[in-house]
Amino acid sequence: MPIDAKVVHDVARLSRLEVDPAEAPRFVKELQSILAYVEQLQSLDVSGIEPTSQVGAGVKTALREDVVVPSEVREEALEQAPDRDGDYFRVPRVV
Amino acid sequence: MSPEAPAPDTAESIGRLVQGRERTAVEIARTYLERADRSAARLGTYLHRDAARTLAEAADVDARIANGETVGPLAGVPVALKDNLCTRGVPTTCGSKILEGYRPPYDAHVVERLRRAGAVVTGKTNCDEFAMGSSTENSAYLPTKNPWDLTRVPGGSSGGSAATVAALEAAVSLGSDTGGSVRQPAAFCGVYGLKPTYGAVSRYGLVAFASSLDQIGPIGRTARDTALLYNAICGRDERDMTSRAEAKPVALDDLERGVKGMKLGIPRDLIAEGVDPEVLASLERVAKTLAAEGAEILDVTLPHARYSIATYYLIAPAEASSNLARYDGVRYGFRAKSEDLQSMYAATRGQGFGREVRRRILLGTYALSAGYYDAYYLRAMKVRTLIRKDFADALGRADAVLLPTTPTPPFRLGEKVDDPLAMYLNDVFSIPASLAGAPALSFPAGMTRANLPIGMQLVGRPFEEGTLLRIARTWERTESALRVPPIAAEGNA
Repeated sequence: MPIDAKVVHDVARLSRLEVDPAEAPRFVKELQSILAYVEQLQSLDVSGIEPTSQVGAGVKTALREDVVVPSEVREEALEQAPDRDGDYFRVPRVV
Repeated sequence: MSPEAPAPDTAESIGRLVQGRERTAVEIARTYLERADRSAARLGTYLHRDAARTLAEAADVDARIANGETVGPLAGVPVALKDNLCTRGVPTTCGSKILEGYRPPYDAHVVERLRRAGAVVTGKTNCDEFAMGSSTENSAYLPTKNPWDLTRVPGGSSGGSAATVAALEAAVSLGSDTGGSVRQPAAFCGVYGLKPTYGAVSRYGLVAFASSLDQIGPIGRTARDTALLYNAICGRDERDMTSRAEAKPVALDDLERGVKGMKLGIPRDLIAEGVDPEVLASLERVAKTLAAEGAEILDVTLPHARYSIATYYLIAPAEASSNLARYDGVRYGFRAKSEDLQSMYAATRGQGFGREVRRRILLGTYALSAGYYDAYYLRAMKVRTLIRKDFADALGRADAVLLPTTPTPPFRLGEKVDDPLAMYLNDVFSIPASLAGAPALSFPAGMTRANLPIGMQLVGRPFEEGTLLRIARTWERTESALRVPPIAAEGNA
């Protein structure tokens, strides 16, 4: 599963991340070196070991009361938009 | 007290004097603002400061006290906030161009708590972009310098938060720690940095990086100050479902009770190689001192801890690639000009994120993608279980594990920035506790011959932050007075 320019291109597309073709070789080299390093995990026997997704997972989740609380930040939030149209976020053409 | 008297340098003394109306919060704020005016630009500690706002917050604390309101133990205490903590109406960029100009419409939980306790915000501190880095050189805006040697890094990612406290520009600060981002800069800057137990502090309003690892942590110049700040922020908050009611404030009196009968385990297997001799000598000195204070020193093993970096650099980027999907140029922050929506997303993210962040998104997406999930991400989560078990075993025999925070003293600016793997390897001693979700504290443990700080680390059982602070406090009592870096001493001369 070697990393090459095509893999970087494919993963960048999955990530919605534009990668300048001139930069790709450096990403390839760096990702190769990191993946070569993490390869050491393959030497461990992990059969029968449960994965830890999060410490504390499995603890009974404390639920809050389901009550309505005011949140009057509509205008403050909309002000942050790079482009808006009244109460809507405006984006470039979709199709 | 006369107005000429030097400002008290600990949060504890400031809080006491302001609560007792011996000093005003405004006087204290002025002193700290003046210090920051002298050194902050040279150190690159802040991304955003607003003196008028800081003074207004201080005046508000004074007014609350004048009205007879009970203000908390942090009354008038100048506190700096890492720039990934949301502050209502105040820029919060995470050191990233993609959030340039962003002003959150709400305060983070910890910020609400600090305000309630009477703290006064000095500003937003510089950090590696989205907290990804170990030197603060990955900030999209500027590098931060180490106050002890301006040619060296302050550590990262909370480099600004650690440096500003070391330089006396703030009394205490908050950082965030995903794989060592509070502890390592605290070690490099000669201050205390606590990564609380996973779940001890609500992350509501902390910009997410790797959610199974992120914790907000306090930085202070003394063990007691660090405890005071922890006490103000810990505990259950229903807006973060991982936050836990077991997280209780630490009784400050308990920190003075010494270490007699405590067991401290040193993981000799993990520190056998690649550790600077002066760092190792410091470890032995701390162990010897604590033994003389009545602690029993024993050897423990953490056989899987050496796999921590490999484990972390699969789990953290995987989570980051998911968390950072929200930066799409639609609702806030930077948007690249583009003809259609899909290319706008890609261009915004490609131009808005720096190299380190983009590399981690690529790595995380790869580790999660079809065909590689089992070999990488799932396997890393299983090794994480083995690392947790190592700590459970070691902490069954010992009250705390003692090891260096970093293998070396602070390195030079530019030294590792072009070699990501070399930068990652620097976190070999801080990442294991992050994966285990255990509380971990870095404390100052002397200086090298070149006058650079050395940090030692204590790792404890879940929700036993008090034990770690008590051990560090015992060491602190045997040490000389607080050290002040040359850049901070200049102004006070």
